[in-house]
Amino acid sequence: MGKQIDLLQGTLDMLILKAVSLGPLHGYGVLLRIQQISGEQLEIQQGSLYPALYRLEHQGWIAGEWGESDNKRKAKFYSLTTAGRRKLHAETEKWNRMTSLIAAILRTTSEEI
Amino acid sequence: MNLVARLRSWLKWIVNGRRLDREMETEIRFHIESYAAELVRKGMSQQEAMREARIEFGGIESHKDAMRAAVGIRWWDELGSDLRHGWRLFYKNPAFSAVAVLTLALGVGANTAIFSIVDAVLLRSLPYRDPDRLVRIFFNEPGVGLRDVRFSKPELDDLQTRADVFEDVSPIFEGSENLTGAGQPERLEGVNGSFSYFSMLGVTPQIGRLYGPQDFAPGFAPEVVISDGLWRRAYGADPNVLGRTLRLDNDPLTIIGVLPPGFRHPGPTISGEPEVFGAGGFSADPFPKPMRGTRILVNGIGRLKPGLTLAQAQARLTAMAAQLRYDFPADYPPQAQWTIEIQPLQETLVGKVRPMLLVLLGAVILIVFIVSLNIANLLLARASGRQQEMAVRLALGASRGRMVRQMLTESMLLSLIGGAAGIATAVGTLGFILRFVPSNIPRLNEVRIDWMVLGFALLISILTGLVFGLAPALHAAKGALSSAIREGGRGSGYSTKTGRLRDVLIVSELAFAVILMVGAGLLLRTLRDLFQENPGFNPTQVVTANIELPNPNESEADPYLDIPRRANFDRELLRRMKAIPGVELAAITEALPGTNTNPSAVGGVAIEGFAIEDRPVESSENLSAERIRISPDYFKVLQASLLRGRSFSEGDEDGKPLVAIIDESTAHKYWPSSDPLGRRVRFGRDSTKPWRTVVGIVKDIKSDGLDIDGVPHIYVSTYQDSSKRLSVVLRTSLPATLLEPQIRHEIQSIDPGLPVFGVSSMNGVLDRSLASRRFSADLVGGFAGLAVLLASIGIYGLLAYMVGQRSREIGIRMALGARRDDILRMFLRKGVALAGVGIVAGVVFSAFTASMMASLLYGVRPHDPVVFLIVPLLLLAVAALASYFPARRATNVNPMFALREV
Repeated sequence: MGKQIDLLQGTLDMLILKAVSLGPLHGYGVLLRIQQISGEQLEIQQGSLYPALYRLEHQGWIAGEWGESDNKRKAKFYSLTTAGRRKLHAETEKWNRMTSLIAAILRTTSEEI
Repeated sequence: MNLVARLRSWLKWIVNGRRLDREMETEIRFHIESYAAELVRKGMSQQEAMREARIEFGGIESHKDAMRAAVGIRWWDELGSDLRHGWRLFYKNPAFSAVAVLTLALGVGANTAIFSIVDAVLLRSLPYRDPDRLVRIFFNEPGVGLRDVRFSKPELDDLQTRADVFEDVSPIFEGSENLTGAGQPERLEGVNGSFSYFSMLGVTPQIGRLYGPQDFAPGFAPEVVISDGLWRRAYGADPNVLGRTLRLDNDPLTIIGVLPPGFRHPGPTISGEPEVFGAGGFSADPFPKPMRGTRILVNGIGRLKPGLTLAQAQARLTAMAAQLRYDFPADYPPQAQWTIEIQPLQETLVGKVRPMLLVLLGAVILIVFIVSLNIANLLLARASGRQQEMAVRLALGASRGRMVRQMLTESMLLSLIGGAAGIATAVGTLGFILRFVPSNIPRLNEVRIDWMVLGFALLISILTGLVFGLAPALHAAKGALSSAIREGGRGSGYSTKTGRLRDVLIVSELAFAVILMVGAGLLLRTLRDLFQENPGFNPTQVVTANIELPNPNESEADPYLDIPRRANFDRELLRRMKAIPGVELAAITEALPGTNTNPSAVGGVAIEGFAIEDRPVESSENLSAERIRISPDYFKVLQASLLRGRSFSEGDEDGKPLVAIIDESTAHKYWPSSDPLGRRVRFGRDSTKPWRTVVGIVKDIKSDGLDIDGVPHIYVSTYQDSSKRLSVVLRTSLPATLLEPQIRHEIQSIDPGLPVFGVSSMNGVLDRSLASRRFSADLVGGFAGLAVLLASIGIYGLLAYMVGQRSREIGIRMALGARRDDILRMFLRKGVALAGVGIVAGVVFSAFTASMMASLLYGVRPHDPVVFLIVPLLLLAVAALASYFPARRATNVNPMFALREV
């Protein structure tokens, strides 16, 4: 496991939306999925995941429902709502625009000015 | 954003807070245990894995807090803790809490009670189908100054068929009728309308049926509909009452239906609620032949066609009246300018009492404001004591907004507890309170506590909470951190900031008190003037009783059909009355002084047009007067002064030359420069009727109410022109209660079917005629007294507090040589100065509020100098007194002790 990267401010919400967009997950599952997709590169403070989940649920982007986990225990599963899907789409667009913009800025050499 | 989703999740949290809290914990536990299980799989021991998982998760409580904050629920948690904190505070200061809650309960309770009356009388729609379309119809002759004149059957038909304005119209005869055949003869209020009366109002019967077109009769229908009250009282709620016969004024009528309990006739009545409802076609016996000029109908109501505004309807009616005047010039003399006017029915019912009720509502709202200012003062005093608490909170990182919220929550808690107590009091005592409300206020029986009233009470509670909570809350927020801690530490006290705020509260309190006192002063002066007003006669040692001769629809059944027969009855009545031991003199009148307040009811004395002989019609504008039938000794019994000419004699009877006596108002108005004695007058426009000669002039007698002046009256002899409604007046030194059985006995020995009602002293009659004025004056007076008391408590409290806080300063001053008088003067000056500012402000405001009360005043101008002088002086004296006691206490400060205390 190499050195993990701290999460950029404000991107956790987006990652959660992405994680649950691939299928309903409980809180711990969200954590595992993000770490798995990122190839264990991202460090997420475990406890801070839950306020984010609650905020997203409160805003109606994800919906929580109680169900049974793989090991037959009661767990709350989150899934993406229609509004959440739209939100994720919009956030992804924004993110892509921003990263390409910033990348372009960073690529700039002195001759180009 | 997604507001609905948020609102839903928010509500979910507020409603299921505890369950969601448990779920939150389950979720976290699941997370930790899942992680620990993974660590165990990687080779850690169970115990170590759990520990590691907990550490990695972080502080559970702080995460939970963040989760709650994430769903925007934290304020709710804080509210709970603020409430618990507030509750503990109140609990710890039982005296303060009790005073605050009690005064608030009084204030809110009074508001609830008064508002429940205002709501029922003024705000709620009339309890009929589409009440907004119901109107009262008036026929006016503005050219001769007559309003609400009678109308004829053809004119009624014009309204129905020609005007294209009304869905339905009905004339309304209101009057009392004698119910016989059921035990003791009883007087009932009755209404006779058209056959569409009930369908117009939209009523469905409790049992049986109501009138419909199938019942049509040209005269009166032989059926009757009775009220729920009568059904229960006289028939024991017998469901088989339908088809039974009752006798009203000797006419047998078949009961066809019983009205629902809530139904009430929408009109003024002589006394009480109508209980029998008849219907008629108004075009055959006992009614005269329908002719345009035969105006026998009184009081029309109608239902406008849907979609028609009042203005449109009025325009059509005005146009129709003009057309009718043109078509029938003989029936509508041009100078009368006959026309038709409509008014919303609700307005005609309650318009008269609106100013009084609004004044009462205003007064009671002022009271609750004064109450809350007083509580604000108490809270502010406490807030100064809590300065240190606040400063510490601020220092520990509480935001100012958060602290304002906490203070407001505490005040709201207080005001809601007080409000709930007030509402409970009002609900519990409403029945009792209503007993003191004069019964001539319409719709009183509709008064109840409904959602509207509860909403108002809640609003008042919240407003008071805001009023008295805002000052200490702002104070808490403004408190400068370091100075507060330092000041608090030093234990000195009357900081200028709180001081100024409290000064403002006292000043406003006094200003409100002035407004209330000026209002009360004006109303009480009006009342006093009315009682001292010479009514034109001597009401002491006069006993009165009312009789109404039956008015059967079948004339054969009428033993009192014509003037000679009625004159016989009158003479027999007077003979028997005079024979009662202790009765010196007896007379008959058609209208007792002070009671003719509903001239449009049957039996009420309406103002009538008349003509003066040898005076050209064109010049005789505005010839109208009230005709009152009296027996010869009437003026003698009342000890009214006959100014000129003679009284009526026994000889002024049917068949002899007709005579009349006019009062001073009539003489001044219609014979300003000539001698009316010997002149001849004639009522109505019928030129075939004989003239009557004016034989005397009497001083004005206030027949229409003590507060009504200048109505011209023409008295005629009851032996020449009698009515079926009559009152006997007896001059006697015996009280009414003692005479009542004998009066009743004597009258019923003439005719056992005659009920006798309203036996009372003349003073009692006059007293009752002022009941609603007395009620409002007493109430506002009581509120004003309460306001003065509260204001003086406020001043007293403020100064006492100041003296306590500044005892060290007083000690220093005295040590440096200030005399006791100086100290006394210093505090007195403070109290009186505050009071002075408040009083001046109050006087300025009162100038406005008093003008709004003008319609309630009689004999007193709204800016009456006496009231406006006495009220400020009185309040100043009270304020000085309230300041004196704490000021004197200041002089007792012992400089040694005060200085050592530091």
